[in-house]
Amino acid sequence: MNIAFKVENLNVFYGEKQALNTINVEIPEKAVTAIIGPSGCGKSTFLRCLNRMNELLPIFRMEGAIIYEEQNIYSKQVDVIDVRRRIGMVFQKPNPFPKSIYENVAYGLRIQGIKKRGRIDEIVEESLKKAAIWDEVKDRLSHSALALSGGQQQRLCIARALAVEPEVLLLDEPTSAIDPIATARIEELLRELEKTYTIVMVTHNMQQAARISAWTAYFLMGELIEFDDTTKIFTNPKDKRTEDYITGRFG
Amino acid sequence: MNQILDTVFKVVGFFMTLLGLVVLGALITDVFMDGLPRVSWDFMTSFPSRRAGKAGIYAAWVGTVWIAILTAFFAFPVGVAAATYLEEYARKNWLTDLIEINIANLAGVPSIIYGLLGLGIFVRWMDLDRSILAGGMTLALLVLPVVILSSREALRTIPASIREASYALGASKWQTIRSQVLPAAMPGILTGSILAMSRAIGETAPLIIVGALTYVSFLPTSPFSAEFPFLNAEGLFDPFSVLPIQIFNWVSRPQQAFAINAAAGIIVLLLITFVMNGIAVFLRHRFQKKIRW
Repeated sequence: MNIAFKVENLNVFYGEKQALNTINVEIPEKAVTAIIGPSGCGKSTFLRCLNRMNELLPIFRMEGAIIYEEQNIYSKQVDVIDVRRRIGMVFQKPNPFPKSIYENVAYGLRIQGIKKRGRIDEIVEESLKKAAIWDEVKDRLSHSALALSGGQQQRLCIARALAVEPEVLLLDEPTSAIDPIATARIEELLRELEKTYTIVMVTHNMQQAARISAWTAYFLMGELIEFDDTTKIFTNPKDKRTEDYITGRFG
Repeated sequence: MNQILDTVFKVVGFFMTLLGLVVLGALITDVFMDGLPRVSWDFMTSFPSRRAGKAGIYAAWVGTVWIAILTAFFAFPVGVAAATYLEEYARKNWLTDLIEINIANLAGVPSIIYGLLGLGIFVRWMDLDRSILAGGMTLALLVLPVVILSSREALRTIPASIREASYALGASKWQTIRSQVLPAAMPGILTGSILAMSRAIGETAPLIIVGALTYVSFLPTSPFSAEFPFLNAEGLFDPFSVLPIQIFNWVSRPQQAFAINAAAGIIVLLLITFVMNGIAVFLRHRFQKKIRW
């Protein structure tokens, strides 16, 4: 098993409040890692550390290191724009741009300076196919993305993230705002994408974590309680607190 | 008891609303009855004259259009740039708070003060004399605070999720603002700016101070010329008049015929304002229909 991210002594603060406390973990590559835990436990904060999205908040402060491809992504030599391109992200609420379906996917390419129409067409089609939404939208690429259903919007957001050819996909509760059928489609899609991408997914839904992830991390009040093989976490957790959570005794 | 109060308030409110509408309706009816027969092609294409029957508003409405375009030309880019800086780049500290309060205050400063400022800076110091350019720049100063405030308001309505989506794809701050935030905010920015513009074209006081004329029997030099490069800026330095000043001039004359001319001028000015407000409403409507977050 190869390691994608090596997180070392990560502490995160929002102003005075500490959101994450001394996290040490190694996230394997080309597999789905699920992050579970009750609300406010620091799941999303942790996820957003992995592509430096937290820095958009002025009160954010961190200590420690996150090593990706043998480099601390927080070191001064690293270009944050490059980090975010290589480590893509899909958000909780589908957030397509108020533009056409085509432009949503093409945007990531345009900002990289790709201008050739044919090349962009090609990648747009390829990305929409990878996100399993091509057949539904191929006849209306010029229509507004906001006219799509929630589930379709979320798959479009995945296509948009894939278009810039990232190596990692971070998903922040990607199915919490959409219906069960659309959720099933996205889970199916993630199982497919797992073969080529490292996927880290925050989820509120323990069944979902059990269904699709190979690895699971359990967070509680800013601490990483347990990280292990998903099957082990759900059948034979080492920590009493993990057991309480997955058996539904609280949370 | 509460129900009675409720009913009373409803009735009183209704009559207050009605009062406003009736007064406005009466004013407009009065103006239209006086002026409408006078509005004609001749009236639109004649220069002012000592004889009321021959006088027209050609120079005045052309001046108003020139001034409107120039005001937009100066106020819009500066206002949007300032709003973008304040909203997206500036750190939130006591200095930006101070700037914010001052911009809000500037929006409430009487227009005649801006006229004095324009006279001091543009007419005297920059030596632009009583030109259209000086007038347009003065009105641009006048509407700038309103353009900044409404642009900030529009920028603020763009949800953080759109910015996040852009950053997550590896976009820089400028790319995010230019390609996502500004286009999404543009209908809102335009609505606010056009409303500010329609206030500007009704202004009289600041333009009188910077030296707009009341009797202009020529048009500014046309910006289009027959020879290369086909465009010129000479008109910018010509003296000018605008509709509100022409109207003011006619109203202050004793003859009844000039009062009718004034009413006709008011109708034209109302129409221009009405069209501009219509564009703003249209843009807002399209904005709401096209973009749902």
